[in-house]
Amino acid sequence: MIRLALAMARFQIAAMRRSPHDLMALVNAPLFTVIFLAIVRYTGRDDLTGYAVLAPAMITVFAMALLASGEIIANDRTDGRLELLVASPSPVAVVVLSRIAMITLVSLVSVAECWLVARVLFGKAVAVPHPWLFVGTLAAIGLAMAGTASAMAGLFVLTRSARTFQNSLSYPFYILGGVLVPPALLPEWLRPLTQVVFLSWGTDLLRDSLSEAPVQRVLPRIAAVIVLGGTGFLLGAWLIHRVLLKVRNDGTVSHA
Amino acid sequence: MTESSPLAVAVADLTRTFVRSRSRLPGRLKRRPPESRTALDAITLTVPSGEVHGLLGPNGAGKTTLCKILSTVLIPTSGIAKVFGHDVVVSTTRVRPLVGVVLGGERGLYTRLTARQNLMYWSALYRQPTSEGAERTAKLLERLGLEERADERVETFSRGMKQRLHLARGLVGNPRLLILDEPTVGLDPAAARDFRGLVRQLRAEGRTILLTTHDMTEAEELCDRVTLIDSGKLLGTEDPRTIGEWLSAWERVTAEGVPAELIDRIRKVEGVAGVEIDSEGRITVETAGDGTSAAVLSLLVDGGVTSLSTSRPSLEEVYLHLIGSRGLNVG
Ligand SMILES: Nc1ncnc2c1ncn2[C@@H]1O[C@H](COP(=O)(O)OP(=O)(O)O)[C@@H](O)[C@H]1O
Ligand SMILES: [Mg+2]
Repeated sequence: MIRLALAMARFQIAAMRRSPHDLMALVNAPLFTVIFLAIVRYTGRDDLTGYAVLAPAMITVFAMALLASGEIIANDRTDGRLELLVASPSPVAVVVLSRIAMITLVSLVSVAECWLVARVLFGKAVAVPHPWLFVGTLAAIGLAMAGTASAMAGLFVLTRSARTFQNSLSYPFYILGGVLVPPALLPEWLRPLTQVVFLSWGTDLLRDSLSEAPVQRVLPRIAAVIVLGGTGFLLGAWLIHRVLLKVRNDGTVSHA
Repeated sequence: MTESSPLAVAVADLTRTFVRSRSRLPGRLKRRPPESRTALDAITLTVPSGEVHGLLGPNGAGKTTLCKILSTVLIPTSGIAKVFGHDVVVSTTRVRPLVGVVLGGERGLYTRLTARQNLMYWSALYRQPTSEGAERTAKLLERLGLEERADERVETFSRGMKQRLHLARGLVGNPRLLILDEPTVGLDPAAARDFRGLVRQLRAEGRTILLTTHDMTEAEELCDRVTLIDSGKLLGTEDPRTIGEWLSAWERVTAEGVPAELIDRIRKVEGVAGVEIDSEGRITVETAGDGTSAAVLSLLVDGGVTSLSTSRPSLEEVYLHLIGSRGLNVG
């Protein structure tokens, strides 16, 4: 299974190199950073520079995973590859997860991009007093993002109309995931909801890793990211299984 | 059944219907009742291991439906289908590694990637280690005459090259059963000849091949046995030589500028099933017997007719003859 996952990840790199469209979000990331940093500077809140660097990076990670989740299975289906994939001995959910995981890994480049924008254009080097926590959290976010995107992939093939809302799905996620605004600052009634969004735990940890203060309860919080992401993957695997049964029954595996 | 089942394919009472939910009629609230179509109607068929089995039938006969059921892509409505003893509905994980499938047409490839990248992808899906996959990919590209274009994007390929790439893809998992759905449609004559050579090699390697076609000549040349299918029903399984006999028995003769008196004489030749005359005065003679077309030809030549030709009957005509004359057991 690991071999399959690695092969699919490698394949995804080859596919992305031929399809620059998938990488557009990486072009947008620095532009977003400029906007956020300009606001921070204008309001004189230089202490929020870290937030302004993290937010566009997380938006990029999510946007690329969301795009991929909507397209991988759908494109395979319209191009007549899904039926061949179904006929192969490899589980479709693992193929989808591995490919999205590779996309997410690439999307993490945006973290470096956004950091560089702050450094080069705004002369602000965001310090990372807890580098291991920072890197570990990014890794956990990457995995959880891929798991969550698998669930979305299943959802998007199951209810094709859901893709209409694909983009609108982003904004609630950015809010509940604490992408720019820490969950603690949200209205009280929203807070319980943020607890089930893996990214809210992840962004809090990232922000904590940027401040000098010692970080509390690291392991349970990282575990929350991974468990929520893992739940997403299990849900996705189940959805994909259901969808494939349905289309194999209906005879619509290769229908657009 | 056991692992070592000698039957590559065993199908019993297999039925597949498709339900099409039709759109609402304008101005009405009720939907029309869904329309159901039977693509396979209780078919029973076995293919022993090592055989090249042809499934011969016109468009819409149900050939692709059977291919998809056997490759686990489509779930049958009722009946049983087994591949090397494993049920294609219940034991998909056992069936899938044993089967390679080529569903015809150009779809199904990553057109922005190269031929080699496509094959490497499929070899990973068929669970081969990277190094082994690379070796197998290179061999298959060579075997199918694609090695010179191996590292070019598939979108630059001709239809025939894509077809060959699909054949390579079907073989990448080293399948014991290869299902080929109309594999020569779109191939030029030279490529079709190469394809026949390939099928013979694969047969010599001990693989079982289920090949669908609507081309009787292809079925006759390639297959050990041929099953005839029409409208979801099997008409019988035949020796390919029988198909060859039908092809010559029901040959058609076309001629131009034939005097009316000669046409009358042709009608009386024994074995002539019918003579049609089109608006330009061209006649088509349908024959139904060995040597009949030769007799018709010599009459025409003796009568001074110079513009004439013979052609093989179409599959539909052969089916009409079979169902009409021999009362083949339909259904
Ligand atoms: N996915 C499908 N949905 C609805 N009808 C289908 C589907 N696939 C095949 N059919 C119908 O089933 C019949 C048999 O089709 P098919 O197996 O493709 O025949 P063949 O391959 O011999 O041309 C046809 O009438 C076709 O329209
Ligand atoms: Mg077909």
